[in-house]
This record gives sequence, C-alpha cells and structure tokens, in this order.
Amino acid sequence: MNDSEQAPIISEEGEVGFVEYQDFVSKEPFKFVSGGKLPELTLRYETYGHLNATKDNAILICHALSGDHHCAGVHGIEERKQGWWNFMVGPGKPIDTTRYFVICSNVLGGCQGSTGPGSINPQTGKAYKLDFPKLTVQDMVKAQSLLIEDFGIDRLHAVIGGSMGGMQTLQWAIDFPERLGRYIALASGARHTAQAIAFNDTGRQAIIADPAWKQGDYDPEHGPDQGLAVARMMAHITYLSDVGMESKFGRKRRSGDESKEHFDVEFEVESYLRYQGASFVSRFDANTYLYLTKALDRFDLHSPESLDATLSAVTSPGLVIGFTSDWLYPPHGNREVVEALLRLGKDATYAELAMDFGHDSFLVRAPKLYELIHRFLTR
Amino acid sequence: MSPIDKKRLADFQVIAQWVEPGERVLDLGCGRGVLLEYLKQKKSIYGVGVDIDFDKILSCVKRSVPAYQGDARTILATFPDGAFDRVIFSRTVEQLDDAGTILAEGLRVGKQVTVGFVNKGFWVNRLCTLFKGRRVINEVYPKPWYETQPTNSFSVNEFEEYCNARKLVIENRAFLAGDWRSECSVFPNLLAGYAIYDLSSID
Repeated sequence: MNDSEQAPIISEEGEVGFVEYQDFVSKEPFKFVSGGKLPELTLRYETYGHLNATKDNAILICHALSGDHHCAGVHGIEERKQGWWNFMVGPGKPIDTTRYFVICSNVLGGCQGSTGPGSINPQTGKAYKLDFPKLTVQDMVKAQSLLIEDFGIDRLHAVIGGSMGGMQTLQWAIDFPERLGRYIALASGARHTAQAIAFNDTGRQAIIADPAWKQGDYDPEHGPDQGLAVARMMAHITYLSDVGMESKFGRKRRSGDESKEHFDVEFEVESYLRYQGASFVSRFDANTYLYLTKALDRFDLHSPESLDATLSAVTSPGLVIGFTSDWLYPPHGNREVVEALLRLGKDATYAELAMDFGHDSFLVRAPKLYELIHRFLTR
Repeated sequence: MSPIDKKRLADFQVIAQWVEPGERVLDLGCGRGVLLEYLKQKKSIYGVGVDIDFDKILSCVKRSVPAYQGDARTILATFPDGAFDRVIFSRTVEQLDDAGTILAEGLRVGKQVTVGFVNKGFWVNRLCTLFKGRRVINEVYPKPWYETQPTNSFSVNEFEEYCNARKLVIENRAFLAGDWRSECSVFPNLLAGYAIYDLSSID
C-alpha cells in the first residue's frame, strides 16, 4: 500500500448528541404483499444531520431484528443509552452527519412506535395482535418508501443495513432501483439457511408454548416473558461466535457465587445471557418477535424464479460485506448475492472482514469496517 | 511513482492495446484495481476485480472498481461459459496452485485469456543462478525467499509449450526487455524480462 492509501481517513469525530424521535403517519390504507391491509400506518423514526436543498444527501439506515429507529445519539440526560450504531453515525464518522441526512425508522411490524401487532387498530379500538397481516421484508421496505416520499426525497444517496437491515437494503435495491444511489448490505444474504430457520422456529416455539402467550391475546403487561426471554437467549448465541464467547466468558464463574440451588447462575455466560433475555423482554413485544422472525424466514431472493432473475432489477452500485465468524448469515450466503450481481454485469463489490464477533461483528467498531463504509459512501 | 509501479504500467499499456472498447473484463489477482481503472478510463470496459486480500478490495472500492474478495477458483466456478470477453491474469498465474486447471477455467469463462508474467528465463536471472548460485533480488523480486510466498515461476518457452500441449491459440504476444518498457523482439526466452500473451481456445 502506498502512503496515500494508508493515511487515516477520519481525523476528528464528534457525536450527534441529543436526538428525538418523530412519528410519520400515513392515513392511506396500507396493502401488504399477502393482500392484508392496515387502515393507516405509523412509522417512528429519527434523523441526524440536515437534508440539503437538492434533497440528494439522504441515507436510510435499516435496523436488525432487535434494533430500532434509535441508531445514534442519546435521548436525554436521564436516558443516556447511545443508539445501536452510534460509532458509525455522527460528525466525522463513516456515515458523516455533517455531509449526510440520516434517517432510521422502526420497521413496520415493530414494537418501538411503528405500527405492529401491539398497535391499536383504529377501526376496532383494540390491538391488532394476530389480526396483523402476514408480514414480509417487502412490506417493511414499502412502508419506508412512504416515509422517504414524505420527505420529498426522490433518490436516496444510500441505503445501508446489517442482518435483517441488510435484507431490507437488498429489497430496496430490487424494488426501488431508481430511488437509491448505492447500497451496503452487511451480514445478510439472499435467504435464510435451514439452520437459521430452525433457530428462529425454536425461539417462536418457546414463545408459543408459554401459557402467557394466550394465542397472541396477552395483556401487554403480562406477556409471555419467559418464552420471549428464552427465544432471545438462544438467538443471542447465534449472533456471537464460539471464539468470541470463549474469549469473553470462557468458563469464568460469577465472583463469590455460592449457588444454593442446583441451577442458579453459576457461569458468567449464563449470567450474561439471562440478562440479555430479561432486558429484551422489557423492550420487546413477543408478537412482533414472531412476525419479524417469520418475515425473515420467508425472505427468499431465489424465489419466485431465481436469484439472478430477482436481482436483474438492481441498477445501483452495491457493497456486500460478510464476516468470517458469522455462522448465522455465513460469508458464502453474502458472497452468493454478489456472484449473481456480477453474473448480471452489475456494479457490485464483496468484501469480507476477519472478525471474531460472529454475526454481530457489524455492530462492533473496527477500523477496517469504518474505512470500507466511508470509502464506498464517498467514492 | 516507484520504479516497480512504472514497470507495472508497461504491462497495462500492452493489455490496453489488445482490449476492445466496452469489453467485459475479469481481472484475477487485481490488486488495488489500477489496471481495471486504467482500462475503464481508456476503453470504457465493464471490469470486475478479484483478490483474496481485504486491503486490496478496499483500494478497489476507492477506485470505483467492482471487486470480489475471494479465491479465483471459487468465483470462476460461479460464471457461465463466455461470461466475460477477457479474463486477465497479470502476474497471478505464478501464485496459483494447479495453474493449468485455473487457466482452463479462465478460458471457459472468458472468450480470451490474457496472461502477463515475469520471464524466469531472462538472462539476468540465469546469470545470477550461474555465477552467484542464488536467486535474484531486485525490484521485481524485492524480498528474500524466507519472506515470500511460494512462487511457481516459469519461462517464455515453458509457457509456449503449455499452450501447444493444450492446443491453445496464441492470438497475441508481446515481450518487454529487462526494463519492462522497451520492446524485446529477438530471443524472448533469453532477453525478455516480461511476457504478455493473449490466448483463446480453438472451439
């Protein structure tokens, strides 16, 4: 590498600071791919940076299964939890808010403010619950496109997302090719493997088997917490890697633990996962979990005809990033997308990062990932 | 520009003469994507680079050259016959395991295959072995044996023997002298520092 290529790209970094969410409400009926309908639709979102006069500097970030619209900054003095991609989004960061207007919305079907199974159906005055229509990634993207239209943005500078967000990103490139300048899909793929479906269904069964689920008709205050926590614990394992867990926890025991019960928390890793399960329950809705995981399992760019046929609609340049230790959405599933795009003569790049953090590698601050995203956005 | 970069450019100029405008080009072992960037500017090609190294892909991204991080064999297998007008191996063949099979795959995927390589038979290399009893260390081979990867180097004659044995058509050949700039027109196996071939299959 010569000197110019090694020089640091980012010298000064800042923070987006305090942020507030907004609600976009569409009073038009929303039609799902499945044929189901919502009488109206709300998407909760946050924005960072400023939309320029020509409205061509917007970047849409799509979040993963357990993520939400809060991807950067903090909500207030009391609520200091940084957004889930704070290291990536901000002044001087790869998704640079001094250049770009960044939008992140909670997905359709979500439970953080956007219309989902827990939302009230204005026609009945009751929550949709399992009357919420069958959901697909295409529906999520279509809903986001309404928000983008509402901003008066004809063409996004870029759409970016990891995991479920990566699938939405690919769907954007397929469904709205003329409305994005480029896209970056991280740790995603064209469809779930049998293993990914198997894990998702085991999680769903934990929820459904919890008596508190009540066929989805639970009181939000007394939902199937046990089932949802187990689903989350198991899913969380699939987001990590063997090597990553070993180096983080090994066989470390909780300090001063004198287990009185046979099955009390004994190892650090147990404590960590139980905490993950418990904290997830406090912010996530079980029915949303069922709907979103099903949407992911159904996502299949090989269908209805072939991967090449589906991707033939894509016109914008794309970057697909795989992670060596990701066994949930493994590198070959990411590569396959780029191989098809290249067969079709599209402008597509596949890059693979050797990181030990499993599927969640895309959520880990790493200089190489930083540089890659920065370069692709500014090229 | 370092002397070695200047040397690399010589290779580019020859290849650029052979490339038709608008070709679809696959560059295996593309490095930082400089050749493809050059061909894109000069010949408006659609080019895809392949390299195993992340940092090289990063440089391709900077140059807006589509690139695939991975193994040449893996990516070739995903393409149908004749998917590209040209598959380029520029100083790549020496690094491959079972080079003959991959070249054959290149000829399946590309209508033509361009191979550029450092001539093992070049007289300086021979003299070094003959008089010093050691391999040459210069700007082309800057590192001692213990800091490099295994390299399967070969001479102009050895390459032509391979082409004849496989009944490959040599559409074009170009030889550069030791400076990799001036043309070398006689006794290439002895006098050429660098050789570039354009091949196709008979059928």
